[in-house]
Amino acid sequence: MQTIESSKVKEKIYIEKLENGLTVAVIPKKEICKKYVIWGTEFGSIDNNFKLTKTDQIVKVPDGIAHYLEHKLFEQENGKNSLDVLSSLGVDANAYTTNNHTAYLFEATDNFYEALDEFMDYVQSPYFTDENVEKERGIIGQEIMMYDDYPDWKLYMNAMKCMYKDNPINIDVAGTKETIAQIDKEKLYTIYNAFYRPDNQVLVLCGDFEVDNILEEVKKRLKPNHNKQEVQRIYPKEQEEIVEKYKEAKMDISKPLFLIAYKDKVETGEMVKKDLAIECICNMLIGKSSNLYQKLYKEGLISEEFGYNYEFSKTYAHILIQNTSNNPQKVAEEISKEIENYNQTGFNNEEFERIKKKIYGEYVKSYNDISSISNNFLSDYFKEINSFEFLEEILVLDKDYVEKVFKEVFVEDRKVISVVLPNE
Amino acid sequence: MLVDSFEIKSGIKAHLIQNDIFKTNIACVLLTTPLKRETVTQNALLPFLLRSGTKNLKTQLEINKKLEEMYGASFDCGIDKMGDNQVLKFYIESINDNFVGEKDEMLKQTTNFILEIVFNTLIENGQFNEDILNIEKQNLRQVIESKIDDKDIYAFENCINSMYGDKGFGLYKYGFTEDISKISAKSLADSYIELINNCKIDIFISGDLKNIDIKGILENNENIKKLIARKPNYILNNESTESKQKVENIQEKREILDVAQGKLVIGLDILSKQKDIGIVALVYNAILGDGVNSMLFQNVREKASLAYSTKSKYVKQKANIFIRCGIEVDNYQKALDIIKEQLDNIKNGNFTEEDISNAKCYLISGIKAIEEEQDSEIVFYIGNEISNINMTLKQYIDVIQNITKEEIIEFANLLEYNTIYFLSNK
Repeated sequence: MQTIESSKVKEKIYIEKLENGLTVAVIPKKEICKKYVIWGTEFGSIDNNFKLTKTDQIVKVPDGIAHYLEHKLFEQENGKNSLDVLSSLGVDANAYTTNNHTAYLFEATDNFYEALDEFMDYVQSPYFTDENVEKERGIIGQEIMMYDDYPDWKLYMNAMKCMYKDNPINIDVAGTKETIAQIDKEKLYTIYNAFYRPDNQVLVLCGDFEVDNILEEVKKRLKPNHNKQEVQRIYPKEQEEIVEKYKEAKMDISKPLFLIAYKDKVETGEMVKKDLAIECICNMLIGKSSNLYQKLYKEGLISEEFGYNYEFSKTYAHILIQNTSNNPQKVAEEISKEIENYNQTGFNNEEFERIKKKIYGEYVKSYNDISSISNNFLSDYFKEINSFEFLEEILVLDKDYVEKVFKEVFVEDRKVISVVLPNE
Repeated sequence: MLVDSFEIKSGIKAHLIQNDIFKTNIACVLLTTPLKRETVTQNALLPFLLRSGTKNLKTQLEINKKLEEMYGASFDCGIDKMGDNQVLKFYIESINDNFVGEKDEMLKQTTNFILEIVFNTLIENGQFNEDILNIEKQNLRQVIESKIDDKDIYAFENCINSMYGDKGFGLYKYGFTEDISKISAKSLADSYIELINNCKIDIFISGDLKNIDIKGILENNENIKKLIARKPNYILNNESTESKQKVENIQEKREILDVAQGKLVIGLDILSKQKDIGIVALVYNAILGDGVNSMLFQNVREKASLAYSTKSKYVKQKANIFIRCGIEVDNYQKALDIIKEQLDNIKNGNFTEEDISNAKCYLISGIKAIEEEQDSEIVFYIGNEISNINMTLKQYIDVIQNITKEEIIEFANLLEYNTIYFLSNK
């Protein structure tokens, strides 16, 4: 068994790879009654093209199928829906799909082992019929339309389309009404058998557990899957350049929203360090104590904090900077100018140290409850990152490295702007 | 759990919540005052000014740097509507001393910071800074106008406004754009003093309080010492404040916007003068539309595939239940029929003991989780405080357990439609 530990947040994670290939991570938390379990599969909306290695058959699946499968997995052969069953046990169950993984989860204060029975059973027992697949189409159709009314979502998707030509991150996780119309039970079984293999999954349990006991409880509940298929994912080779510099959309909103994004090269290796460096840069460039933020705020060009984020996986990487403004072009220009300035002057030492302190505190906060500890571990696991490294690396991050990343990543010709404007 | 709750001065209360399972401390100050058409906008503007500078931290820049120094403590403020009250809310979360290198007295720093922001604002010569005021007026204007950006909330707010009009609960908590220009640097400073001297003040501190003299920190704080005792002016929120008549005509409202999905909101009145319907209302609401086993989720979503999101919410302070769902515009009537059928089913007793036990189980597990969620715990005690209820979590659970089917049916028959609101695209 492998263990990883952080003296900073005083947490320890036990990681065991079981015989069937499933990775199980246990995070013991003494004296807490809540227990949290999340089961992730490395299969998301970008995995829409793959080869079944046994037959060499190349499969292309409709957009939105990973998410459709997530909805349908709750359906059971006995006619029950596991979400209802879990809810009757008083546990809070849910599931979600992202670009690169799908996860099923629940949180319980009582009835934990009964819930674990149901939970592990349904994730391992797909039951798709023409009828139950059809029934979901209307529900997911409404979920897609709900997102269509979110200006932030439109903004984000347009930025992806500006940056990526072939990488399927430019498609909507839930697909469209047209693509989900092509989903049927056969396709759902194909992807289930191809990707819901134990060796492509990780199960994280956090709560007041004895490690060996809970591992035994998990093993007892494992089921064989005789239909599983080996696959090879096929990702298109994405060009380094962006596709287009600018996209705008119009909606019934009060003020323009904008998103400035920088397409980055996909790298392996120092991802934690790089992620932290970008977080520092964004803080010093546009954070609430930055000169530029103060200036834009006083001029009334922005009225709230910038949102910023470095999104990356094994196939894509980009920085996102978001805000609202009556003059997005002007704000974008000011940011570019400030980038040029900092390229000349470098960052201020005192500021850098203060921002590191801030980021350290934010990482500590992100370990505040059992669900965030588990979710952090899961999403980092699929990026092949040890979550605790962030807490160690931030303290020793050096300014020269940050400035090097800054020069490499914030490059004008890899910048795109997405804007959502109010309807006239 | 709440370990102590005491009056520092008349109308100013401190609530101490001990918890050692979190890595953070939270300090939260609430200023509660009646929601009124005349004062809603100026009160809504105040947090924007208070977060912009204090006598010791003169600028937003100084405030932000201070927060960064405190290991990125997160500070936020905003406006809440609780029944007929407007609540100005100030909130800070910081990591506690166990996770910083040296002993930084983080809890003391955190508490003093929030008190400095709220009670030591930068008013000079009887007025706020003119330049800052002008920027923040723009910002408030933007917040009010941005109501339309989230169509779900927009539809919900407009349904409430149709029911209550421009008073109390019917008001939008951020106020009115047309009132902004009337506010001056002097008048707003006067409003601030008026508010601070008369509102109900609650200070919540949650974290690992063992070995820390938090009472001493509060009582010795200069900004607290300055505050005067008051008979707090606010509207006690509990069921008995609302006594309703059946509306003569059910309002049907339709509004057109460029939306992909229609947003349906139904406002129901609870016609009862009884005081203790709160818990049966919660159980009823869970059966109707809270959670995946609820009738709305099962019938509107799972059986008819009409919606992704469909739910109901009980608003205790105003004796209302609101049903909300996002549907295809053309399915309006179909959805409405199914919803009405569910309401009738409960009225007529067409639901099972299993429905009841599912609902109770759902509510109880939510209540049990409260003590292990730092935010929810504060929200729970705030609710109790504003309603002057002293029930513990355990007592809530006991009362829920004892609700019977007859009580639920009786409650269902107290419900009447008030407004059916639809945000549509045609």
